[in-house]
Amino acid sequence: MVSPVRSICIVGGGTAGWLTAGIIAARHRSGLQVTLVESETIGIVGVGEGTWPTMRSTLKKMGVSETEFFRQCNTSFKQGAKFSRWTTGEASDFYYHPLVLPEGFPSLDLAPFWNRYSEEHENAPSFSNAVCYQEAVCELGLAPKLITSPEYAGIANYAYHLDAGRFASFIREHCVKNLGVRHVVDDVTRVARTESGDVEYVETSRSGRLTGDLFVDCSGFRAILLGQTLGVPFVSRSDVLFIDRALAVQVPYENEQSNITPHTLSVAQKNGWIWDIGLQNRRGVGYVFSSKHTDTDAALEELRAYIGPGHDNLQPREIKINPGHRETFWKGNVVAVGLSGGFLEPLEASALVLIELSAEMISALMPATRETLDIVARRFNETTRYRWDRIVDFLKLHYILSRRTDSRFWVDNRDPAGIPESLQEQMALWRYRAPGDQDFSSNNEMFPAASYQYVLFGMGFRMDTSLTAPERDPGTAQRAFAQNEALKVKWTRLLPRNRDLIDKIKEHGLQRI
Amino acid sequence: MHLVELSRNVHAGLKIRKDGAAATAAGQHLIPIVVSEFRRAAVQFPIVFAKNPETGRFAPYVLTGLVPEENLFWTGTELDVAYVPLNVRRQPFYVGSTDDGPGVLCIDTDSPCLDEAGPNALVNADGSDSAYLKSVLAVLGELVSGRALTEQFVATLLSLDLLAPLLLDIVLEDGTPLKVQGLYGLDEDKFKQLPASELSGLFSSGRLDLIYAVLLAGGQIFNLIRLKNRRIALGRAWHSDV
Repeated sequence: MVSPVRSICIVGGGTAGWLTAGIIAARHRSGLQVTLVESETIGIVGVGEGTWPTMRSTLKKMGVSETEFFRQCNTSFKQGAKFSRWTTGEASDFYYHPLVLPEGFPSLDLAPFWNRYSEEHENAPSFSNAVCYQEAVCELGLAPKLITSPEYAGIANYAYHLDAGRFASFIREHCVKNLGVRHVVDDVTRVARTESGDVEYVETSRSGRLTGDLFVDCSGFRAILLGQTLGVPFVSRSDVLFIDRALAVQVPYENEQSNITPHTLSVAQKNGWIWDIGLQNRRGVGYVFSSKHTDTDAALEELRAYIGPGHDNLQPREIKINPGHRETFWKGNVVAVGLSGGFLEPLEASALVLIELSAEMISALMPATRETLDIVARRFNETTRYRWDRIVDFLKLHYILSRRTDSRFWVDNRDPAGIPESLQEQMALWRYRAPGDQDFSSNNEMFPAASYQYVLFGMGFRMDTSLTAPERDPGTAQRAFAQNEALKVKWTRLLPRNRDLIDKIKEHGLQRI
Repeated sequence: MHLVELSRNVHAGLKIRKDGAAATAAGQHLIPIVVSEFRRAAVQFPIVFAKNPETGRFAPYVLTGLVPEENLFWTGTELDVAYVPLNVRRQPFYVGSTDDGPGVLCIDTDSPCLDEAGPNALVNADGSDSAYLKSVLAVLGELVSGRALTEQFVATLLSLDLLAPLLLDIVLEDGTPLKVQGLYGLDEDKFKQLPASELSGLFSSGRLDLIYAVLLAGGQIFNLIRLKNRRIALGRAWHSDV
């Protein structure tokens, strides 16, 4: 007898729950009945405020209007991240990880040209400035598109900063109104299992039993289905990533006209780093640090020093982070999406994108039957574990390239014992050649080779190019560098100030075409 | 451009060269129109839609050139057209707003239409509005009253998903490829698939006529290409003479 998966029950209604509901319901429509149960009494963590550019296609596919997204979620544009004080710790120390790929990439690799040039010239431009125009756009506080650009289309590649609380309600409304998702507001009191160990239903306080052929655990850190009920163990990654505390605070703007920074700011501190994300109505600022290297009071002092005077009344919220993830993410008929699956740290905004990718994959693996679910689960686990490992590598890269010596935190981060072997291998290869697509050959890569280049060269890494054959056609590279300069001139002249475009979008809207 | 509020006292002595208005369109490849002009415009120009660069909102325009700042109807001395759009005829007058409110009649004192030797006065000897000024006021009146109707028409097209990017991929007679970008037109396939109920709604609101005017005007693109080819051929003849 075949038992098809016809209904999906999502437990938990934060960003993870609603994005998962929206992604699955938009694709499968009436083919799958999606129910989401969320508690009124349990809040959401809601500090996830940075997305990847993937969020554009995610929202578009769900049928969401980008204009409404800007109007309702305090949304702003994010064109990558500016990392300050990560390399030497000095005030002038910064580099960009922009979202626009290097000029000509990947058919042309400008890294060896720039590497050689920067060794021969003391005043060589930074890597990202030499190969990409987005740093110049960000430094001027400009938006990545024009008011005449259609929804979701950009001049420069972009992602978003958003208000996580509002975002969850925004997606909820769309899911319930337009995508036929059944919404149950109730507390889950008990989880019942079948003889084979699957979850049969969740018992709720007032709405009775909610059944499902597949359950998605979006219950946050508590992981009530995959963790508490099915007992899938948690794998700590704290041996590699030391961040285990966050102090988060919301900082008002000086006035309504203050520009909104069009990228994430990441400012390294003595024992961690501070994120600074500009939304329409406020900044979200937080210090993530290692409690093994400092204490909350000292961290608070650093955070207050960063925010500056006049904000002494702000009371930061402390959040504990246990960096790591579940051993597996899908067991039986339960799959975890979001914090229930794991969390590392906010660096490079990997939390929301993993939700999108996980929900997309669940969606793509449907339709399924209970009989095929174990195959589906195995594939999902392989892919998802691979993704976590690649994120761990990429995050660690930021720490091992630092030359800071002002605290044990930075020194300990460079201890080879805490560097994954996969990253050590990559670093050995990159000694002589730049990261390329040959280093990232899976279909499930997280960060493209270009991202590794931006971080490596941004943080002062240089290759030994003595073994590199001389270029056959250096003219191609020269033309690409010149093209980048031309794009810089053009777009810094034509793109509007970030706040001005967001105000215009709220007033006039973006067209769909 | 320098707009000032028109004063029948201060500007009583101003003289206008009425035919100078056409010269203001010499460097425009898009001229905005209102729906009341569609039928008249359709005998001369393609009617297209483009986004206002300041607001991103769609508005209808007549297309007068195939590259930005080109007006193929401009001969060097006049616009060689059977219908001159209201937005050209109204030059050098605008309806602006001041601190006192909207709907203020303004004049562009930088306009080439202002000419001491011009034949058109603004006020008669007895201080009343001249026939010329009255005709301009009528034009401005039609533009102002047409604005809301035009916006409603565009909103209707958008709500029915009838606008689509216009792909003009032209090869000129001398082999030059020409891609015209940033223009939008009616999606004829979608229009044909509209259910009868929508069509009858469009008919009763008078918008069906407008849609057909736009569709028929589309054929005027061939005239633009003809003018463009002729201009290139003339240019070549000129240079080979030298």
